[in-house]
Amino acid sequence: MLNLNRIIALLLLAFSSAYGFLSYTYHLLPFERFLAVKPNTMPIALSIAGIICSIAILIQPKASNEKIESDGTVNRADGEYLKNPQNFNWVQGVGLLILACIYSISLRELGFIFCTSLFLFLGGYLLGDRRYIILIPISISSSVIFWYLVEKVLTIYLRPWPNWIF
Amino acid sequence: MLDGLLLGLETAFTFQNMFFAALGCFIGTIIGMLPGLGPMSVVAIMIPVSLQIGDPSTTLILLAGVYYGAIFGGSTSSILINAPGEAAVVATSFDGYPMARNGQAGKALTIAAISSFSGGTIGVVLLMFFAPALASFAILFWSAEYFALMLVGLSAISAFAGKGKVLKAIMMTILGLMLATVGESSLFQAPRFTLGIMDLQSGINFVTLAMGLFAVPEAFFLAIDKIRGEKSGSKKSQEINNLRINRKEAKSIAPVIGRQSIQGFLIGVMPGTGATIASFLGYAVERNLASPKERKEFGKGSIKGLSAPETANNAASTGSFVPLLTLGIPGSGTTAVLLGAFIALNLQPGPQLMQDRPEVFWSVILSMYFGNIILLVLNLPLVPYIAKLLTIPRSYLIPFVLFFAMAGAYIGQNNSTELLILIGFGVIAIIFRFADYPLPPLLIGFVLGQMFEDNFGRAMRNANGIQFIWERPMTLILIFSAAIFILVPLIRDWLNIKKK
Repeated sequence: MLNLNRIIALLLLAFSSAYGFLSYTYHLLPFERFLAVKPNTMPIALSIAGIICSIAILIQPKASNEKIESDGTVNRADGEYLKNPQNFNWVQGVGLLILACIYSISLRELGFIFCTSLFLFLGGYLLGDRRYIILIPISISSSVIFWYLVEKVLTIYLRPWPNWIF
Repeated sequence: MLDGLLLGLETAFTFQNMFFAALGCFIGTIIGMLPGLGPMSVVAIMIPVSLQIGDPSTTLILLAGVYYGAIFGGSTSSILINAPGEAAVVATSFDGYPMARNGQAGKALTIAAISSFSGGTIGVVLLMFFAPALASFAILFWSAEYFALMLVGLSAISAFAGKGKVLKAIMMTILGLMLATVGESSLFQAPRFTLGIMDLQSGINFVTLAMGLFAVPEAFFLAIDKIRGEKSGSKKSQEINNLRINRKEAKSIAPVIGRQSIQGFLIGVMPGTGATIASFLGYAVERNLASPKERKEFGKGSIKGLSAPETANNAASTGSFVPLLTLGIPGSGTTAVLLGAFIALNLQPGPQLMQDRPEVFWSVILSMYFGNIILLVLNLPLVPYIAKLLTIPRSYLIPFVLFFAMAGAYIGQNNSTELLILIGFGVIAIIFRFADYPLPPLLIGFVLGQMFEDNFGRAMRNANGIQFIWERPMTLILIFSAAIFILVPLIRDWLNIKKK
């Protein structure tokens, strides 16, 4: 049966093949055809290496000593989380990633200060913090301080407010 | 030389110059902690401000301090939250972050500070005495040798592969090299593999990839696992703040510091290589030299694994001043920015600088001594406070780690697509981590990929074919070494798996 390890090897094989196809069909400019190294020379070599390597991972016998340390400590091996998924808080992890996506999309529209304050507040809320009296001031003050440091001290432009205000 | 040295001493150790060296170190450390603002950006940001000072020596002393401070600041975010905002400090996170997670943040930051200080200081001594001789050696390195050196750097990946993972590490390196081919290249006219996406025209941003590969998965795993998230927070603050290194530990890192100061400096001297390759190679060399028992600790919080890249990247940063000051050739991105500052000050770095403006030449070098001491004095007392960041409750720490990572990719670009690409890389990295694929080789492949292809292309053009490999003895030796570094662990690994 395919395990995650081999599924990824298969995906890498597909990626290397697609990359190889793009490299092989890369449109060379007329003068580039006579260069010692063409724009697709290295990519073609890399795609061949990628295909060979991913096939080797696919056919490589599974190491019997591939044990996962499950000592329950901070250094728990990452593969452990899939063994007993019910023991872990996936909602918080995936929720944070979704929140990060929403933050990315709305950052320009809502402006840095408002959007970041909201992100930090909702992030804390999602992770179970209900002490609004601490959470709200920390979220707002952190984003304001960060914005001030970047825009005013380092003079790197960051739109602070939503589009419709300024 | 003695006259120049005395003149430099007189100039560097005035109150004004010492103050600006300290200020530069402080500013560099603070700003360098922000991901996305590596030494190059920090120095570039500080140039307009520093030019207001007027005095060339003071301006350059301030900028050199900023440079050092920024490198150290980058190590801090690497160690504490696994967010390396600069390629040169990626290797620092390999053992620095596990140490911090094991409640040894204070010790990790102390080792980083001491290693940086030692690497920088030994580098300055070497710079003082051997700069002109080394500069003439460095220019003997041509594209062919650089290509071979990149290959040796890539062969360092075996250091990051545990048992049964060498093949995976090689695959990850190839993937990193593939990602490095996206966008524009100095060698070719048109951008490649952008799939029509405008944001990929200039290639994949290093900070976006580094944060996606390291910081985003870390925030995810801290969120799903309460034990992992709270363990370091629940450590007694005494333990986290503990800066003490015992005699045994000091004894074990002393030879590492000695070796990596010299190796890092020599790599830094060669234009185009710099602190990144020095740190990766330093890590790989020390892992190979370690006893089998110590080797197992690498990647899990080895003090040698932390000390090696920290020493090497600081020594290399000092080394990169050799071609700048003696030949006028910038050896790295940051020294290229510094060259701009020299020109703005009406100074022409190169062989004439030592003769025409000895006070500038020597005061900049001597201020590096002082800068290193200031960095140590400034940072050691701050370590307990910086380390306390880890005692922040997870409901604040995790969103901040994620925000920090995203801010690094967003600052200066104001591009939301960059953030979506970052999260995309983060999700891919999480899946890779579930299947136990090592991620550092991917970043190494990406960082060295562009230089690897450029130097290969130039070497092929110069020699009009592949014959440069056997025509240049140094190239041949380096390629042969790289092949051994890659093949031996691969064959050993394969045989081990088959036997079991």
